[in-house]
Amino acid sequence: MEKKIGIIRYRWIIIIATVILAAASIIPLISIKVNPDLESYLPDKMESKVNNDKIGEIFGTYEPVILIFETDDILNSSTLERLEKLSNEFGKMSEFASVISLYTTRDIRSEDGTMVVDPVVKTLPQTPEEREALREEIKKNDLAYKLLVSEDFKYALLLLNSNKTIKDKELIDLIYKKLDEFPGNEKVYLNGQPYLRSEANDKISRDIMILLPIGLILMLLFFWISFRELKGVFLPFTIVLISIVASMSLIPLFGWELSIIGIIIPVMMLAIANNYGVHFIARYQELNALDPNITMNEIVTEASTYLRKPVILCGLTTIVGVLGLIMSVLLPATQMGVVSSIGIALALILSLTFIPAILSVMKKGKVHFDIEGEKRGKIVHILDHAGRFVTDNPGKMIILFFAFFALSLAGLFNFRVASDFNDILPQKHPYNKSINITNKAFGGSKMINIMFDGDIKDPAILTKMSKNEEELEKMPGVGSVTSIATIIRKMSTALNDPSDPGYNRIPQTREGVAQYIELYSMNGDPAAFENLVDFDYTKAIMTIQCNYEKLGEAKLIIDKIKALTKGDPGTVIGGYALVEKEMSESVVTGQYYSLIFAFLAIVILLSIIFKSFIAGLLGAIPLLYAVFCIFGLMGWLGIELNIITALLSSISIGLGVDFTIHVFWRVRSELSLGVGYPAAFQTAIRTTGRGITINALSVMLGFSVLFLSAFPLIKSFALLIILSLLFCLVSALMLIPAICIIFKPKFLNKNNNL
Amino acid sequence: MKRLTTITVLLVSCIFCFSFSSIGQDAREISKNSADIIALSSMEMVTTLKIYDPKGNMRTRKVSIASKRFGEVTKMIMRFIDPADVRGTAMLVYDYEGKSDDMWIYMPALKKSRRIVSNEKGKNFMGSEFTNADMSKPNLDDFNYKLLSTETISGKSCFKIEATPKTKELEGDNGFSKKISYIDKGNYLCYKIEFYDMGGKLSKTQSISDYKPVSGGKFFYYLMEMKNEQTGRKSVITTDAFQAGSNLSESQFSPANLEK
Repeated sequence: MEKKIGIIRYRWIIIIATVILAAASIIPLISIKVNPDLESYLPDKMESKVNNDKIGEIFGTYEPVILIFETDDILNSSTLERLEKLSNEFGKMSEFASVISLYTTRDIRSEDGTMVVDPVVKTLPQTPEEREALREEIKKNDLAYKLLVSEDFKYALLLLNSNKTIKDKELIDLIYKKLDEFPGNEKVYLNGQPYLRSEANDKISRDIMILLPIGLILMLLFFWISFRELKGVFLPFTIVLISIVASMSLIPLFGWELSIIGIIIPVMMLAIANNYGVHFIARYQELNALDPNITMNEIVTEASTYLRKPVILCGLTTIVGVLGLIMSVLLPATQMGVVSSIGIALALILSLTFIPAILSVMKKGKVHFDIEGEKRGKIVHILDHAGRFVTDNPGKMIILFFAFFALSLAGLFNFRVASDFNDILPQKHPYNKSINITNKAFGGSKMINIMFDGDIKDPAILTKMSKNEEELEKMPGVGSVTSIATIIRKMSTALNDPSDPGYNRIPQTREGVAQYIELYSMNGDPAAFENLVDFDYTKAIMTIQCNYEKLGEAKLIIDKIKALTKGDPGTVIGGYALVEKEMSESVVTGQYYSLIFAFLAIVILLSIIFKSFIAGLLGAIPLLYAVFCIFGLMGWLGIELNIITALLSSISIGLGVDFTIHVFWRVRSELSLGVGYPAAFQTAIRTTGRGITINALSVMLGFSVLFLSAFPLIKSFALLIILSLLFCLVSALMLIPAICIIFKPKFLNKNNNL
Repeated sequence: MKRLTTITVLLVSCIFCFSFSSIGQDAREISKNSADIIALSSMEMVTTLKIYDPKGNMRTRKVSIASKRFGEVTKMIMRFIDPADVRGTAMLVYDYEGKSDDMWIYMPALKKSRRIVSNEKGKNFMGSEFTNADMSKPNLDDFNYKLLSTETISGKSCFKIEATPKTKELEGDNGFSKKISYIDKGNYLCYKIEFYDMGGKLSKTQSISDYKPVSGGKFFYYLMEMKNEQTGRKSVITTDAFQAGSNLSESQFSPANLEK
C-alpha cells in the first residue's frame, strides 16, 4: 500500500475548504467601493491636511470647479450673454456656495474724484466701439484681467465653488446640463478636483471591467499553449481566479476603498498567482511522461515533495518584496502591499494544497510532455549561445553591463518627481487641456492658501501681507496673489487721487483700515467678503495661484512663504497644491523606505536560504541593477516618479529575486557534481534559464494587459515593470554568472543540501 | 336668552361681513396700505444692527439715521456711532424717483468725503442679511400681487399675500423670485415676509415686531430680524430711538456737511 501524504489524506477537506473560501470571498466583493480621491487616502496627521482642516474650519471647505470658455473674442455679445446667463443660473443653484465670473466681480476705480463701483460688464456692448471701450476697461481692472479673462481675450473663466453636497458625477452632470440649456459656440473645458475625480472614477470602473476579462482570456490561452491539457488550463486558472477574488475582497473587508492603484492589484495577481501552480502542472506532465505506469497519487506525492521548498522560497521572497509597499505613507500603496501579499500567500498555499488535492481525485491525462522538447526551441538556442558567451568572456560581460548601467544612470539627471496628479488622465483629455489653459492664460491651476492670524485691521499686518504679495508675485511659478490687502490697496486707489499719500497703499491707522473694510462690506455680498477675512477680523486668507510644473519650484515657493511668514505666530499654510506637494514628497520617501525594506529583507532571506551573507549581496545585484536602470530610463523617457511608478521597485524586487534563486539553486546542484564554475553556469543558463525565461514571459504577459488601461500612468507602469523584469532576468542569467565565474563565491560550492 | 341670541347673530354677521370685505380687497391695495402705515420718508432714529454668522458670532453696528423728503428727492444721512474704529464714518444718499441714487461717503481716516457711484443693485445693507430694498418703501408697480389665504401669525389674523417681480430684470434687482407677506387684517402691519430664491426655494425669512405708533396714525417697527434659511446667517435691527419727521435743514443733507 502506497504511503499517502497529508494532502491526499485530507484532499476532500482541502477541496471543500477552498470552495467555501472562494464563495465566501465573493460576498464582501459586492460591497467594494471606488474612491478616486487621492487626498482622502493621506494620513490625517499630514501637515497639509491638518492645515487645510484648520483653514476649512474658518473659511469653509469649498471645492472649486473651473469652467473655461474658448472663443475668438470673449467680448462678443453672444459669449457675454451666455456667460451672464450661466453666472446667474449657477448662482441660483444651492450646490454652489459662490460663483466668480465677469458678472460677479467688481470694477472699483476712481473717476473724476469719484469712487466708482461697477460690475465688470455693466451692459452688453452693442457696437465695435463699445466692445473696445469695455476691453480697455477690463485691461485696467486687475481683479478681472488675466484672472477671469485671458490677456488675448480668447478665454474666460467661470469659477464655481461647490459646497460638496452632491456626488462628483451628479455635480458635473448638473454643470453640463446647464451648459446645454444655454448653448453657444464657445468650447467649454472643465477642471477642478470634482471633475478629475468623476473622470477617474469612471475610468477605474472601466479598467476593472475591461482589463481583468482580457487578462483572464490571455492567461487561458497561455496555459493552453503551455500545457495543451484541460487540467493544465483550469487548475492554475482556478488559483488565479480565487486569489484575485480573495485579495480584492480584502479591500472592503479591511474597510478600504478601491483607488486608481487598486486597478493594478487584480492584474498583478493575474501575473503572479499562476507561477506556483504552473510549476506543479509542469512537474505532473513531466512525471506522467517519464513513467507511463506511475499512479496519480504517486505523481502528486513526488511533485509535492520536489516542489515544496523552491516554490515556498520563491513565494516568500515575492511576498517580502511586495510587502515593502507597506512602508509607503500613502494608504493605497500600503493597501496594495497587504492585499497582494495575502493574495500571493494564498496562491502559494492553494498551489501546494488545492492543485495536488484536485489532481489526486482526477484521472491521469494523456502524455503532453516532450522530454526532448526541453532541449530544443528558440529560447534554449538563444540561452545556449548567451551561456557560452558569458562563460567565455565574463569580464567583457561585466563591462557591457556596466556600460549600459552608466548610460541608463545618466538619465537620472532628467529624473523628475511628479508635482501634481493631473497626469492621471491622458494629456489629450479635456481636463488637461483646461489645466494647460489655466496655467498659461490665467494665474494657474494650483492653489496655496496662507491664513494669517491677528488683528487683521492692524495696518502692520496688512502692510506685511501686501509686501508678501509683492515678493511672492516675483517668484517663478506664481501666477497671482490675492487677499484682503489687495482689495484694500485697490480701494485706496479709488478713494484717493494719485497725488494723495494714501494712494495705492494700506491706510496708516487701524481706524483707516476699519473704515475701508466697512465700506467694502457695505457694498458687497457678506458671503463673498467672508472668503477673504473671517467674521471677527482675526483671520485673513491669502490665495496664491500657481502654474509651476516642477516639484522643485513648488518647494521654492513654499520655502519662500515659510521664510516670509517666519515669526508670525498662528500663520497656517494650506491649499491643495500643498497636499499635492506633500503627497509627491511622501511618494519619494515611501520609495526610499520600500526600497531599503525590500533590499534588506531580500538580502537577509537569501543569506538564510544559502547560509551566506555573500549570497544575499550577490542576489541583490540584479535587483539593484534593474531598479537603478529603470530610474535612469524614467529620466530618459520623461516618465515621472508618481504614486503609480513608485510601486515599481517593490514589485520588481519581489518578482525578480526568484530568477537569481533558481540560478543559484541549479549552479549549486551542478557544482556538487564536480564540474567547474563555467560549466555549471552554462548548464544552469540553458536548463533553469529556460524555465525562468518562460516564467518571466508569463508574468510580463500578465502585466502587459495594463497597456490597455485608460490611465497613462498605468500604461507607463506596465512598460517599466516589464522592462524591470527583463533587466532582472537578463542580469540573473548574464551578470550574476559573469561575476560568479570571476569571483567563484564559496557558498555555491558547498556540498550541503538545502 | 333671546337677547343673547340676537347679539350672537349680530357678532357672527359682523365677522362674516368683515371677512367678506377683506377678501374682497385687492391684494395690491392691502400691500399699499401696509407700506403706507409705516413712517419711513421723514424721520430721525438711532438703530443697532447685530449681524450673526452661522456659528453665532456677533458683530454690532450702531448708527444714527436721518431722512427727509425735499421735493422729489428723499435724502438720508447715516452716521456710525459704534464701534469706535468706524465712529464718524458717514454716508449720504439722495434717493431719486426716476434715476439711480447719488451717494457720498465720509471717512474720518481720509478726512474728506468722496462721491460713490455704484451700479450694483439688490445689495446687502451694511453687510447684513437685509438688502437696501428692505430698508425702503417698495415700489408697488414693480410687483404683481395675489391674495393667497388668511393665516394666523402670533395670534393675529393676517392676509397672506404673494408678490412676484413683474420682469426678470426686477427679479434680479430685488434678488428674489417671490415674497410672501403676512399682513394684519386689522391694522395692515406686516409681521413676516418669506423670500424665495430664483430656484423657488425659501431663502430668507424676515420677522418684524414691536411696532409702536408714531404720529399721523403711522407705526414704526422697533425690532426686525432677517434669517438666511440657506446659510444660517442672521441679522437683527433694533430701533433704540425714533422720531417721526426731521428738524434738519436741507443744507445739513449736503456732502459738505458730512465732514462736520
